Amino acid sequence: MLSFFLSLLLSCGLAQNQTTIEVCPGCKVGSIKEAIAMASDFDTILIKKGTYNEFNILVDKPITLLGEASATIDGRDQGEIFRIVSDHVTIDGLKIINVGTSYTSDYAAIRVVKSQHFTIRNIVLEKLFFGIYLERSDNGIISNNKILGDALDEYNSGNGIQLWYSKNVVVEGNLVQGVRDGIYLEFADHITISNNHSKDNLRYGLHFMFSNDDSYTDNIFENNGAGVAVMFSKRIKMERNTFRRNWGTASFGLLLKEINDAEIIGNTFEKNTVGINVEGSNRINYLRNNFIENGWAVKIMGACYTNAFRNNNFIYNSFDISYNSKLNDNVFDQNYWSDYTGYDLNRDGIGDVPYRPVKLFSYIVNRSPETIVLLRSLFMDLIDFSEKVSPVFTPDNLADTHPLMKKRI
Amino acid sequence: MKSTCYLIVLSLVLLISCKPGPDPIQYGFDGCHYCSMTIVDKQHASEFVTQKGKVYKFDASECMINFTKDFDSSVIALYLVNDYNNPGVLVDATRATYLISENIPSPMGAYLTAFNSKEEANIARDINQGILLSWDELGQRLRN
Repeated sequence: MLSFFLSLLLSCGLAQNQTTIEVCPGCKVGSIKEAIAMASDFDTILIKKGTYNEFNILVDKPITLLGEASATIDGRDQGEIFRIVSDHVTIDGLKIINVGTSYTSDYAAIRVVKSQHFTIRNIVLEKLFFGIYLERSDNGIISNNKILGDALDEYNSGNGIQLWYSKNVVVEGNLVQGVRDGIYLEFADHITISNNHSKDNLRYGLHFMFSNDDSYTDNIFENNGAGVAVMFSKRIKMERNTFRRNWGTASFGLLLKEINDAEIIGNTFEKNTVGINVEGSNRINYLRNNFIENGWAVKIMGACYTNAFRNNNFIYNSFDISYNSKLNDNVFDQNYWSDYTGYDLNRDGIGDVPYRPVKLFSYIVNRSPETIVLLRSLFMDLIDFSEKVSPVFTPDNLADTHPLMKKRI
Repeated sequence: MKSTCYLIVLSLVLLISCKPGPDPIQYGFDGCHYCSMTIVDKQHASEFVTQKGKVYKFDASECMINFTKDFDSSVIALYLVNDYNNPGVLVDATRATYLISENIPSPMGAYLTAFNSKEEANIARDINQGILLSWDELGQRLRN
């Protein structure tokens, strides 16, 4: 009954406010600011094609800004373009270029401040500083935007999509490239990030700081300074993502630092310097991931407890696992290791001798990185073999006692 | 004659290379020694140099101070931080003035920014609010 009245009320409200204001260069309404000033709540402003030289546009009422194809806002490097300070604002289908650069005010193409129920979609951003910046704003959608930065050798750049103190936001289907961090979350909880493509960014494709209960699935992180960094966060779900070609001395596919209770399931780590770098992280399940042709598949730096690696494929990595501390209570079980040379006499698909994934040489490289030049030398093969036969330096219980004979597909 | 010349050049090279000095940070390539993050922020990065000339680089001043908690500080010859008003320029950290203000985020969440001159720090404080600290005060505050 209540919902019936509510919907009646809502439809009345909509029926009253169905006006569309058209904006085009040379029309009666020639600027977006003018149109916003004229509009009443829940109006639509249709921005016809053309270039609008405007900046510091304040959106302070619930309206929809709809851009026609090739409607462009040129900020001429003067400042931020949109500042949304009202609930229920939609910005759809605009191209925004030349956002101003300021290190103290962090100019953004679209900044949402203390607002709810916003939608930002089908936007193309070029020549930007910060792209989409949410500030204490909840319950919104950021989808199908293209953020094309040009921060290739200029390190003073902003982030593509930044969420700061925001909750319940969906970020999906965006392309972010050439900025500092593709997507950056700081104090952002209950965020869903899916089907995004984040590449060629200076620092991270995706970066979590002090954020909890978030998930990211089906994204591609490619050729970034480092793929994804999850730091000081709890209960993050990471599923079916691809981390590839994150090369460089300080580079990782995935960096985990001080995080707890995470699930890392079904991801692919391909051709990274380090697939996953883990430090101070507890109760993490690594299931059904593929580690293919990385320098190090997994590097565990210490203070890690109750982690489990099960059913993963480790295929042609220079080092599968690097460990510089005690095993603690971490488990490696039923993984496939391409380096495994054991046998399976009873044909149950599980190797009859345990596999020890840590090479002695990886210890030496950990202590003095320069020794990496000896990687392919016979001497190292010899000491690795002798360590495999009778472990002295590596934790002797660090072994997969049920290594799979065939890779898990 | 020529050999003495070589000798002088060689000894000069040795002399220069033995003195610990700052090492420019390669923004976008170098990683933070404490938190492993790639260093990109030219206004908040820091580094210290040991007496033997080994350089440890950090993406934020707070990372440097946290790192030195478990480090023998008697071997450190130089502490350097980025001056906020001159992005990319490293200045003596022990003589810098520090501003903690929620209005200037720093890479590791301490809202900590360094200024080379006290006057500039004062101006920034007037605009952004917050508190000003000296190097020693900052050390005490973060180490506890």
